[in-house]
Amino acid sequence: MVKEGLLYTKEHEWVKVEGGTATMGITDYAQEQLGEVTFVELPEIDKDVEPNDEVSVVESSKAASDVYSPVAGKVSEVNTALESNPELINEDCYGKGWICKLEMTDTRALDSLMKSKDYEEYLKEL
Amino acid sequence: MNQDKGVFIYQKEQIQPIGSSLYQEHLKLTTHIADFAGYLMPLWYSSISAEHRAVRESAGLFDCTHMGVLGIAGPEAAGFLNTVCTNDVSTISTGRAQYSYILDAAGNVLDDIIIYRIEEERFMVVVNAANEEKIKAYLNGLIKNEVVLDVNHPDRKLEHKPEIRDMKDLNNEDCRVDIALQGPASLNVLNGIIIDKKVFETVSNLKPFRLVQTEVQDVDCIISRTGYTGSSIGFELFVRPQKAAQLWNLLLEKGGRYGLVPCGLGARDSLRIEAGLPLYGHELAGPFVISPFEAGYGWAVKLDKDFFVGKAPMKRKSQTYDMEVIRIELPGAKGIRPVRQNDGVLDNKGVCIGWVLSSATIEAKQIALVYVQRGSVEEDTNVGIYYLARSQRQVQEGKKKNIKKGENADADITGKGVSRFEKF
Repeated sequence: MVKEGLLYTKEHEWVKVEGGTATMGITDYAQEQLGEVTFVELPEIDKDVEPNDEVSVVESSKAASDVYSPVAGKVSEVNTALESNPELINEDCYGKGWICKLEMTDTRALDSLMKSKDYEEYLKEL
Repeated sequence: MNQDKGVFIYQKEQIQPIGSSLYQEHLKLTTHIADFAGYLMPLWYSSISAEHRAVRESAGLFDCTHMGVLGIAGPEAAGFLNTVCTNDVSTISTGRAQYSYILDAAGNVLDDIIIYRIEEERFMVVVNAANEEKIKAYLNGLIKNEVVLDVNHPDRKLEHKPEIRDMKDLNNEDCRVDIALQGPASLNVLNGIIIDKKVFETVSNLKPFRLVQTEVQDVDCIISRTGYTGSSIGFELFVRPQKAAQLWNLLLEKGGRYGLVPCGLGARDSLRIEAGLPLYGHELAGPFVISPFEAGYGWAVKLDKDFFVGKAPMKRKSQTYDMEVIRIELPGAKGIRPVRQNDGVLDNKGVCIGWVLSSATIEAKQIALVYVQRGSVEEDTNVGIYYLARSQRQVQEGKKKNIKKGENADADITGKGVSRFEKF
């Protein structure tokens, strides 16, 4: 499932842009591939990130997947609910399973992300 | 004597994965399919945890049609198997099965296998899918006198030379593939499909490691009470590859009312880990070159036999090993980082005594099979686990990427030793 109105990376992260804030998580395709998520390593608040920096690690019993920042910014909020309920990523990856919010310092990298239609096409080719 | 004869060396070929005999059925049931040992196999259908639970509480059906099945027949068969396998084939009569190992002349484990004695002079040998081509090449190399039998006596000759057939080959009139039915409700499921009361009675009276050749709704079937899940009640059904889908669908259709579900490789792995069963390349052989003695299977290596390939080096290994495979239990609720292969195992002083080989999250706990200093972990002994760095952040925080025996570290999670095996 791909949600409209979000931006997507080739590594299967999604980004929701609201003003200067970017909320991000992993896509339905990514959580399907991982299976039951048992642990999420959240980034530190105030951490400065560049595009493609690792911000989180999502682990299932069989695999660990690095999550990369799609933009430059500072981590302003993390979804602490994932600490005790990592399965929210399986249940609601675009909603309650969000991972962190970034205050963007440079939005140029957003231009290279895919819109929902493009991401759908991209998934078909995998 | 063949002057070029050497110790067996196998170069694995890269092959394009092919679908198993049940591939078309899997496509109808799941999108989670991956290449495993050259076969496109299901990882899970619903979820690993739900499938695991089904096998413990009711029953699960596994596609094992990727497993290698070799047919070894004729008057030379028993003698040949007793020369190339570590266990004593002469102790199993018709209708029985036996766990065993195939070693090379240097005592390296080439595979762990189950030998089924279908008739007095007809054996079926089930080998790991990942080792199938290697084992075929090895056994044929021995028969053709191309590889050394005994490093101490290079001119030693193989006395028994039977014909070896690939029983998955459709050109073979007695071709067979394996479907496993495992869990406490397995007999109820079989009762639903075996119409002949006498046949069902025979099957329900099968003791562990016994088998019967019969028919299930006109499908020729070898049913053995064996498996790889630790279930007290579990069967493997060996059928013609052309009939595999028919039997698979029949079982799922009739077994649903008893809670039977199809299970993928994920649950197959977590079930065998929970039961303490070794997987070749992890708890046997592999990077640590783990011997059957270290794995807890010394009983399957009969050092009192006159000869078997690899006997002398294996005898030395039996006398000197200082590491062993142990099963441990750790917390595993949601939100606890799972332990992984190669993470360090620590004693109560924080000294590394070994490493994690395999692990699985089962309900709210984790079960791991670990390779540790022999005698250092008993039941209820506290152990710690040091997680190796898996992310950039952990590397920045000073986490190691590997850990050596004897190094000191702080435990990230603690648990305890449990019995080496568990039956369900």
